[in-house]
Amino acid sequence: MKKKYIMVAVLAAVIILAGVVSKYSSQGELERYETTFFDIFDTVTSITGYAKSEEIFAGQAELLQKRMQHYHEMFDIYHTYEGVNNIKTINDAAGVEPVKVDGEIISLLKLGQEMYQKTGGKLNIAYGSVLSVWHEYREAGILEPENAQLPPESLLKERAGHTDMQKIVIDEGASTVFLEDPQMRLDVGSIGKGYAVQRLAEYAQEIGMEHVLFSVGGNVCAVGDKADGTPWRVGVEDPNAEWQGGYRQAVDIVGECLVTSGDYQRYYEVDGKRYCHIINPDTGMPSEYFPSVTVLAKDSGMADALSTSLFNMELEEGLAFVESIEDVEAMWIMEDGEIHCSSGFKVNEEE
Amino acid sequence: MKKNDVILIAGILLFALAAFGGLSWYSAASTQKAEAVVEIDGQEQGHYPLEQDTTVDIQLVDGSYNLLEIKDGKADIIEASCPDKICVNHHPVSKRGESLVCLPNKVVVEIKNGEGMEVDGTTH
Repeated sequence: MKKKYIMVAVLAAVIILAGVVSKYSSQGELERYETTFFDIFDTVTSITGYAKSEEIFAGQAELLQKRMQHYHEMFDIYHTYEGVNNIKTINDAAGVEPVKVDGEIISLLKLGQEMYQKTGGKLNIAYGSVLSVWHEYREAGILEPENAQLPPESLLKERAGHTDMQKIVIDEGASTVFLEDPQMRLDVGSIGKGYAVQRLAEYAQEIGMEHVLFSVGGNVCAVGDKADGTPWRVGVEDPNAEWQGGYRQAVDIVGECLVTSGDYQRYYEVDGKRYCHIINPDTGMPSEYFPSVTVLAKDSGMADALSTSLFNMELEEGLAFVESIEDVEAMWIMEDGEIHCSSGFKVNEEE
Repeated sequence: MKKNDVILIAGILLFALAAFGGLSWYSAASTQKAEAVVEIDGQEQGHYPLEQDTTVDIQLVDGSYNLLEIKDGKADIIEASCPDKICVNHHPVSKRGESLVCLPNKVVVEIKNGEGMEVDGTTH
């Protein structure tokens, strides 16, 4: 009888010890690694993943970085790259001729068309000629804050006449894109990053990565969960941070994407008033309904497009819009710090 | 059951508990206090505890710089050579996972350890 007791005790001790060891030794053989780079999509990119060795992870990260660089070049509206027909090539040939482009550009533009329909025009990738005016005035205003100015209304109005999505002619068979309006310009800043991250997440799985977190500026996208089986925890920066200090909301995601659009990172000031980089296609002016909105969705391209669209909608309209779409949730942070969430948005509030 | 058996059982259990407690303590101790970790182009340059006021002159090979000030438990970039000054305009950071980024200079200052939820990434 007593032997039995001893056996039970020994067994219990072994189980506890095994638990201790497994808790504090690394999870299986996988180690966590992170890499950061700075020259893609004008933002900071970090890739967090798990691999059996640093060499393996470095190899995978290099493949991802190369692929990402390719998207960066294809979706660029400012620079030309040798051997690449990109968005700038299409813009430069507006009113002149169709441009043969990579199928990925066609897919991106079709996502743009789809989201234009879905959002009732709150997201317009043919809005480049207006955006470039704001870009110019913003850059000048940041460089010389004392001389910062708003673009003249007449110029904005004139440019707004060249933003008709119907004038984008896509020939899928020939893989060409033609802008019928010579003064029209594409700007895919609102969906390009999100689309690229989505495709990268798919590519990561193809090369055997099961647990990855991409963070490209405001776009965060998770492949799977973490190697220990817990979800990725993503903090949402608080736009009212001057008085709050840091993020106070965190969202747990598994195989999902989280994208924030806000007015507090890229902006300039004219006469003490802040003008952000997101321009509402309905007014031609920067949106100022609230400081930030965050979208949770399965697809990163869609999340990116929706966060910009929601930023251009009033809270009530946006809430109703989100509730009408399946598998999409959103969180709004208002000027006074108040937080509104769609019905399925779950946050972990900081204690 | 003999007295020795009881002692043996208790001993084994105590040992297991001690191992568990010890490791827990060790892991708690290793989280330590908040510090600002400075990286240039992904390479760690140094870490500075937030409880100690100091100024760090982050110098790049090409002459660019960011001036990091640690004061009252917060890290703040107060001056920089970059054109956009986004890093300077950013509010001071103090909580775990918060960061200051200077894209032109490839400088990242990240808060490690200390107060706040641990996160794997942030959107902004």
